[in-house]
Amino acid sequence: MKINVFGNSVSAMVCAGCLAETGNHITLVGKRPNEIAEPGLVELLDSQLAAGRLTISDNFNPQAECHIMALGPEDCKNAKRIATDLAAAALKDSTLIVRSNFNIGLAKEIAQTAQLEFAVNPDFTADGHAIQRFTRPDRIIIGTNSEKVRQQIRQIFAPFNRNQDVIINMTPASAELTKYGTNAMLATRISLMNELASISEVIDADIEEVRLGLGADKRIGRAYLYPGTGFGGDHFTRDLERIKSMLPQAHQKGGHSLLQAVIDINENQKELFFRKLWQHFDCNLKGKTVAIWGLGYKPHTTSIESSASVALIKAFIHQGCNLQLHDPFALDTAKKWVHKHFSNVQQQQVSFHTEMYDASKQADALCVLTEYKAFWSPDLTLLKENMQTPIILDGRNLYNKYWIEDNHFSYYGVGR
Amino acid sequence: MNKLPSYDVLKQLSQQAKTRHLASLFNENPDRFSGFHAKLPGLVLDYSKQNITKEEREALLNLAEEAKLSEWIEKLFKGEKVNHTEGRAAGHTALRDLQNPKPEVSKEWEKMEHLVDRIHTKQLRGFSGKAITDVVNIGVGGSDLGPLMVTHALKGVRSPLAPELHFVSTLDGKQLQRLLKTLSAETTLFIIASKSFTTIDTLSLAKTAREWIESHSPSKAGTLQHFIGVSTNTEMMNDWGLLPDHQLLFWDWVGGRFSLWSTIGLSIALQQGIEGFKSFLQGANEMDLHFRNTPFKDNTAVLLGLISVWNINFLDLAGQAILPYDSRLKYLASYLEQLVMESNGKHVNRAGENVNYRTCPILWGEVGPNAQHAFYQLMHQGTERVMADFILYAQAHGNTERHTFHHNLNIANCLAQSRALMIGQKGDDPHKDYPGGQVSNTLLFEKLDAKHLGMLIALYEHSVFVQSVIWDINPFDQWGVELGKKIALEILQKIEAKDASDLDSSTQGILQTIWDTQNEN
Repeated sequence: MKINVFGNSVSAMVCAGCLAETGNHITLVGKRPNEIAEPGLVELLDSQLAAGRLTISDNFNPQAECHIMALGPEDCKNAKRIATDLAAAALKDSTLIVRSNFNIGLAKEIAQTAQLEFAVNPDFTADGHAIQRFTRPDRIIIGTNSEKVRQQIRQIFAPFNRNQDVIINMTPASAELTKYGTNAMLATRISLMNELASISEVIDADIEEVRLGLGADKRIGRAYLYPGTGFGGDHFTRDLERIKSMLPQAHQKGGHSLLQAVIDINENQKELFFRKLWQHFDCNLKGKTVAIWGLGYKPHTTSIESSASVALIKAFIHQGCNLQLHDPFALDTAKKWVHKHFSNVQQQQVSFHTEMYDASKQADALCVLTEYKAFWSPDLTLLKENMQTPIILDGRNLYNKYWIEDNHFSYYGVGR
Repeated sequence: MNKLPSYDVLKQLSQQAKTRHLASLFNENPDRFSGFHAKLPGLVLDYSKQNITKEEREALLNLAEEAKLSEWIEKLFKGEKVNHTEGRAAGHTALRDLQNPKPEVSKEWEKMEHLVDRIHTKQLRGFSGKAITDVVNIGVGGSDLGPLMVTHALKGVRSPLAPELHFVSTLDGKQLQRLLKTLSAETTLFIIASKSFTTIDTLSLAKTAREWIESHSPSKAGTLQHFIGVSTNTEMMNDWGLLPDHQLLFWDWVGGRFSLWSTIGLSIALQQGIEGFKSFLQGANEMDLHFRNTPFKDNTAVLLGLISVWNINFLDLAGQAILPYDSRLKYLASYLEQLVMESNGKHVNRAGENVNYRTCPILWGEVGPNAQHAFYQLMHQGTERVMADFILYAQAHGNTERHTFHHNLNIANCLAQSRALMIGQKGDDPHKDYPGGQVSNTLLFEKLDAKHLGMLIALYEHSVFVQSVIWDINPFDQWGVELGKKIALEILQKIEAKDASDLDSSTQGILQTIWDTQNEN
């Protein structure tokens, strides 16, 4: 089949590469970035370009039978422009598949502009495992009112749907809500766990024990039950805000929206360690040195968007603390962010360290925010020597707290 | 005043003025508006609906010259000790001199800006480390009425970063107790606003607030994060325990009822941002320059003051109604009650001699459309002759069809009332007869924002000052409020001792009844 794939995202390239590999003639309408972090993607694209089944171009193939939109979620303007172009030049009986995570309702609008029958086929892949999740999906959602489009997508995805039929049919609106609802559900579980963690601290329970107990219930399951210093990343936060904006007006403000509560709990959680240290030092943090390990919102990412580190850096700087930051991937991003958001004087309060123990020198506290493997079993003797005040704040509950305390550190976890 | 040459001229003229109907002036001069209004950018004062002729106005302007008004204005602006009974200047105009600020004023602006910034960026923390979300202003009189009036008026144009603002003032504590039930101690900040930092109303409420915070906070350091002091008295703020960063100063040369321009305006700055607060000052400063530099015949503040004098001393009017046609100015009348009556409610002149003429009128008011259904009846058909100020805005506060409709309806009502009061209507049925002849000013402002509100307040301040100069009284002291405070302390001691002897029989009787009631329950 001749297919156009629109977009510069990892999602677009994975989609184009995988569909070319199964014999389709793909025109990827977009730019291939110079550096691609996604494992296996460079090889996939190279092999398909060499085989001649994949073309990368600025212009779409007017003979294509199907057009797949895999633009970034904020790229709505571009999507509308493409739709206008398709209306002018695409085959009248070709179809449109929207995989982008646009605002709810936008897919329908775009299809009307393009004057094509359409489906919403949400992309559930996660960075780092994108090719595997595309070729071995646990669900393929086809949201369409058109039988023709339904059959066409079934055919396109047939190579990835052999082991077990994972296709679920629904309307376009249901498909959009399924995508948003997935993130909303996961976010809600996390915020619930964070709320239980704060209760846990009050009644002297250990949320890690509670988590194991809860996860053993099959109705609940074990995934996404980890309390912490709040989830970050642009996707989660943006999706929640967008879905919240679809709520009836009365629910958007005030305490009537569950999703608003989920967002509020999460934002509150990001400053948890600020509050712990604020209370530890009796409301005076001026001149204290705080080390932070892990700045990205998750391991192996350069993004610090909406992560706890951002909230904590702001809070500590405003109280006159010195900060010593370490992250294996996100240090440069953090440097740029600090440079952009703080005055020269405030920037003097921050130093960046490529070596994790360097960041702990003369520190009054160490906050561990991201679960990098290298952080799991630190050299406590060295840390003790380095630090001025031995306090460890464990944002992912990585450590056995008794081990830390036996080594004469003060230990603060989340909910324990 | 009655020794000035023009006084007799005015007395003579007023004989004839008292016998004519206001409406006749419009019949004689259909273009009366053009000769009887004054303006500056953003404001038009229409005083054509006053019972006054050119000749009478001329005599009033002469009266002002004879009273040396120009000299007094210069004394005010130059910081001379015009408040002679307290040996102080009245420096409110210096507080809004953005071009040439006093160094001590600039310093406090900076400190205030820093506090506003910490609260707006959610970096001012309570005992638990959570950011402050609610700010309660504890103050009474000038430390309450001004900020309350202004922040209520400008709520619709608040900074998106502004915390929720609350005001408590009454020493019975019920207002505060009711408010505390809706707030979270972790995230609530109190501004203790008191010029002297000894006012029992404010300090008693501050103590209740402190005890509330203490019942939640684990430490003293934690508790103190929740209080900011605004005062002239550093020593008392230190004694109370306020953190140095949490103390804002103003000075004894700022009168309480003029203190909203000082750091007492912190709540205004929190709502409007420091830029908004500065445009509030800017509006007042524009009025200051107009007042100081404009010839009296075109000077809105001078004219407003002189017209009051004409009405009070020559036409024998004793009441002044303040009628804003905008619900956002709900508290304007309360605010002006203090500004006008605390300033000019005096019966001795600067030399301490009893005056043998009337001074301050009784001022009251309400949002116009509400007052139409209340006391306008008295104005239309009662036996009291009163003067009124109608306050109107040219711009609607929104641009939808409904906004325009409501705005037009509001304008129509304002203009209808001032016209009806002026013109009246003869009726065969005496119950449906409207005498008319009630005088009014209309103050038409461009729009209601921080700048134009600053201008409005400064206009009334200067009008009050003009009247005080004509009456030869000191508008900047308020000894009248002291006696009650002193007796309250004496009675409090009596109550605590449960001994009402030595008091008058009325007080004794009431106290005894209260004690009997308390014992029964």
